[in-house]
Amino acid sequence: MQHLLTDQQQARYAACREFVAQNVEPFADAWDSEQKLPAAVISLLARSGYLGGSLPAAYGGQGWDIVTFGLLNEALGRGSSALTGVLTVQSMISMALLKWGTDEQKQRWLPPLAKGEMIGAFALTEPGAGSALQSLTTEFTPAPGGDALLLNGRKQWITCAQLAGVFLVFGKLGKQSLACLVPRATPGLEIEPIQGLLGFRASGLAKLSFSNVEVPAANIVGKPGFALSHVAPVGLQYGRISTACSGLGLLRGCFEASIAYAATRKIGEKTVGELGMIRSLIARMGTDLEAGSFLCHNACRSEQERAPEAFEKALTAKYFTSRAAVKAASDAVQIRGASGCHESSPVARYYRDAKIMEIIEGTTQIHEELLGKMFVGRAGRSGN
Amino acid sequence: MTSVNAAAADAIRETVRHFILSSINIPNLDADDNLFESGIVNSLFAVQLMTFIEKTFAIELGPDDLEIENFKSLNATTAFVLKKNGQQAG
Repeated sequence: MQHLLTDQQQARYAACREFVAQNVEPFADAWDSEQKLPAAVISLLARSGYLGGSLPAAYGGQGWDIVTFGLLNEALGRGSSALTGVLTVQSMISMALLKWGTDEQKQRWLPPLAKGEMIGAFALTEPGAGSALQSLTTEFTPAPGGDALLLNGRKQWITCAQLAGVFLVFGKLGKQSLACLVPRATPGLEIEPIQGLLGFRASGLAKLSFSNVEVPAANIVGKPGFALSHVAPVGLQYGRISTACSGLGLLRGCFEASIAYAATRKIGEKTVGELGMIRSLIARMGTDLEAGSFLCHNACRSEQERAPEAFEKALTAKYFTSRAAVKAASDAVQIRGASGCHESSPVARYYRDAKIMEIIEGTTQIHEELLGKMFVGRAGRSGN
Repeated sequence: MTSVNAAAADAIRETVRHFILSSINIPNLDADDNLFESGIVNSLFAVQLMTFIEKTFAIELGPDDLEIENFKSLNATTAFVLKKNGQQAG
């Protein structure tokens, strides 16, 4: 895979892996246990430029390419899925705003998002609308006076909502979908932290409740009627790429932990790695890692080239790595035996976090439905 | 419409038609078929079509371009692309 990367991409990946080794891996289990990310690590992430990596320099970002974005997600995902979740949602809101925000919105919101002075959250999912986005019930109505909207409704499972300074909220204005920026300090917005998650426990998930929240019409992103067809998909595309690459990082973590253990742990006169059945598990893990690397690279490069097939490539990569991560994490625990079942071992955290990868940014089943339909639809057409 | 613009319009229309027909499972597509009301362009395909138009015709869409009228049919999309490129369809 390395041969597909430029020297600059390799250097940034190496720097991020070093960042993770120093600042993330030694602490990730504690964050998971405490169900909270310390402000200091968010600051470090911001100071390293990672939170604004994909945004143009004109807005305070780094202007890095999307392959680099994928590599950063992989490197961070190796250390902490929960911390990578911050980069995921920051990119989702930033890139949707970069594409569909007005000049005024971009000037106001992108610099603090790029520098990590403000964390954003993508408020799409509702208690009754996860995969079925057309079922959103969060409602915008015109406020008396004309230049503002009133927002009512509830959101759930919103990653980073505990930390966010601004939310990109999706709902309906009459029969039209609408996306709107809502600052955290707006009266009528209540944020209730969600504790006790299976995985991604430190990602700051929360429920949001909007009760007659007044937001200026100038905060509308895109136009009414285009929120679900054009605004959300830009963010979700970055979400899928980020999750695919983060899952790849988790898979790498499982692989590296497993080969290290297999090479040193003795059973009688033999190491675990000399056992054929363990070699089989590690062979599948290593092959999935190699395959996932290519799929993620392909997804990132397609998005970088703005290829129409970028959507399909991101779906494919996310579908593959999330499932492979679940399998690898399960096998990594199996290889370690009892010690893999204790919170002192990172593979126990990998095991719980991996399952979340199969659910966020589109469940495995939604991916199968979409990809199956796309693949079958190719029958009889040119270029398949 | 000048002959140059007419030729450009034809080329744009056929390019977009070919992309849609190679992406969506429909047998044919007339120039005035409504892409949204017919369900040809749904929320999953809208961004793919937008990305294709941006890349193929070297234009960048922004929030002001988000109007159904700009993309409701092959003819509407053709007129929009010409307008963005500083030409008039007619």
